[in-house]
Amino acid sequence: MIGVTGKARGLSCYLSVKKCSRFFDPLLGICQRAIMPLKMLDLQTAQQLGWNVSIFLRAFLLCLILFHRNIRSFPFFTIYLVANLVTAVILLLTYHAYGTNNWTAYFVAWGSQAVMLCLRALAVAELCRLLLGRYRGIWSLAWRVLLSCAVLIVAYAWIYAAIIPEHNLESGVIVAGRALELSMAAAIVVLFVFLRHYEVASDPSIRSLALGFFLYSCVSVINFTVLEKYSRRYEAVWSATGVFSYLVCLFVWGWALRKTVPRSIFGPSSLFAKNVYERISPEVNARLRALNEQLSHFWNVEAPRS
Amino acid sequence: MSFSFFSYFAAIALLLALLVWALRSPRRRASQSKDEAALLEQLGRRHAIYLPLIRQALSPVDIAFIASHGSAALAQRIRKERRRVVLAYLVALREDFNRLLRFAKLVAALSPEVATAQEAERLWLSTQFAWRYQMVRAVIYAGLLPQRSLDALSHMVSELAVRMETAITELGEHTAVAAKMASSLDGRGADVA
Repeated sequence: MIGVTGKARGLSCYLSVKKCSRFFDPLLGICQRAIMPLKMLDLQTAQQLGWNVSIFLRAFLLCLILFHRNIRSFPFFTIYLVANLVTAVILLLTYHAYGTNNWTAYFVAWGSQAVMLCLRALAVAELCRLLLGRYRGIWSLAWRVLLSCAVLIVAYAWIYAAIIPEHNLESGVIVAGRALELSMAAAIVVLFVFLRHYEVASDPSIRSLALGFFLYSCVSVINFTVLEKYSRRYEAVWSATGVFSYLVCLFVWGWALRKTVPRSIFGPSSLFAKNVYERISPEVNARLRALNEQLSHFWNVEAPRS
Repeated sequence: MSFSFFSYFAAIALLLALLVWALRSPRRRASQSKDEAALLEQLGRRHAIYLPLIRQALSPVDIAFIASHGSAALAQRIRKERRRVVLAYLVALREDFNRLLRFAKLVAALSPEVATAQEAERLWLSTQFAWRYQMVRAVIYAGLLPQRSLDALSHMVSELAVRMETAITELGEHTAVAAKMASSLDGRGADVA
């Protein structure tokens, strides 16, 4: 995410056309494009505009986090945003120094993307804990399930990568990126299913942050899949889609962080002794099973008649 | 390649559908019972134990008598009434089931540890129940009334009611105390609706 997606090619055109020598030229770029006639706003330009706006939105989000003192509630999310912003700057410098059709730029772009994916996974894990961590029992089950989902999807992607005919860097990057995005999206959905199943009330801000991650991951999976099929023909659209979906994601986060999010309190030592659950749970299950059997009895008796 | 291409779209569609379902707030259930104390009070109720009375109301002798001494329209009306009674009983059965489920979730939420097997079994049971409930409703709407099964049902429900009553009454007090503790920690009332 992060911007790296759109940058490799979008930025190259931008930088080559503009021939900018100064570091803060994106500011000028935004102003110029804001007054540009609409008909000149082609995909590349729109993408570049989106990329520039996203940089400022990231900085704005960081300011929001600091202003509302949400850094204590979302340390990993803050780290992710800072790293994201730093990465954007590094990429700008790299493209400026080496151009875009260069292996150094390629590895810097995708290397930073890998780091960002890891940081994003940590931020998502943080949100999961914020939403479910207060309930020790549920959390102890949920983190295992969430992790299993993620691992299973990555394992599937690994097997898929091993059996596809083409073995090159490009397909490897696509498969790995897609798998990680899909596992993140799946983990977030499972998290929401847990919230629903246990009827846990959750903070809307945290939910919105998670939704932002989910939306971006979903678009990325689709984006990677189409890119894999149509390859170079789709690159420009792929790049622009990445930038715009991230922009949407930033707006969602901005809305979520518009106010102070109360810090979650974890780990009230124990509300119940462990043996209470051990005793009640099987009893309840037995009764549920019996009620189920009643229904099946209805069904089994009546079915032959029909 | 083509299968893989569409499978990712399908996976995303599935995730989106699941997300929409998960985000739908269970307000209906929340309004049924405002807090944990109400839930615990209702746990003592067993709609299903009224089954003998329902069975009596469904007696075929009554229907035969009405058919022989009354009009066809009256017999038809009685049949409709019977169907309504069985449907109401089914709804009550589902209420019993949902209350138990909520109780189990509350206990799980307030426990320091939960067993994966127990939770998975409960999830499976509730899926099964939802499916069977719909099937039985369909059968009843089709005009088939399950009289023969009611005898066995009556016995089973009574037995279970007694067995669970003891355990739940004993542990209900613990749950109420724990729910109050959770409420005070959260500051907004207990989170487990």
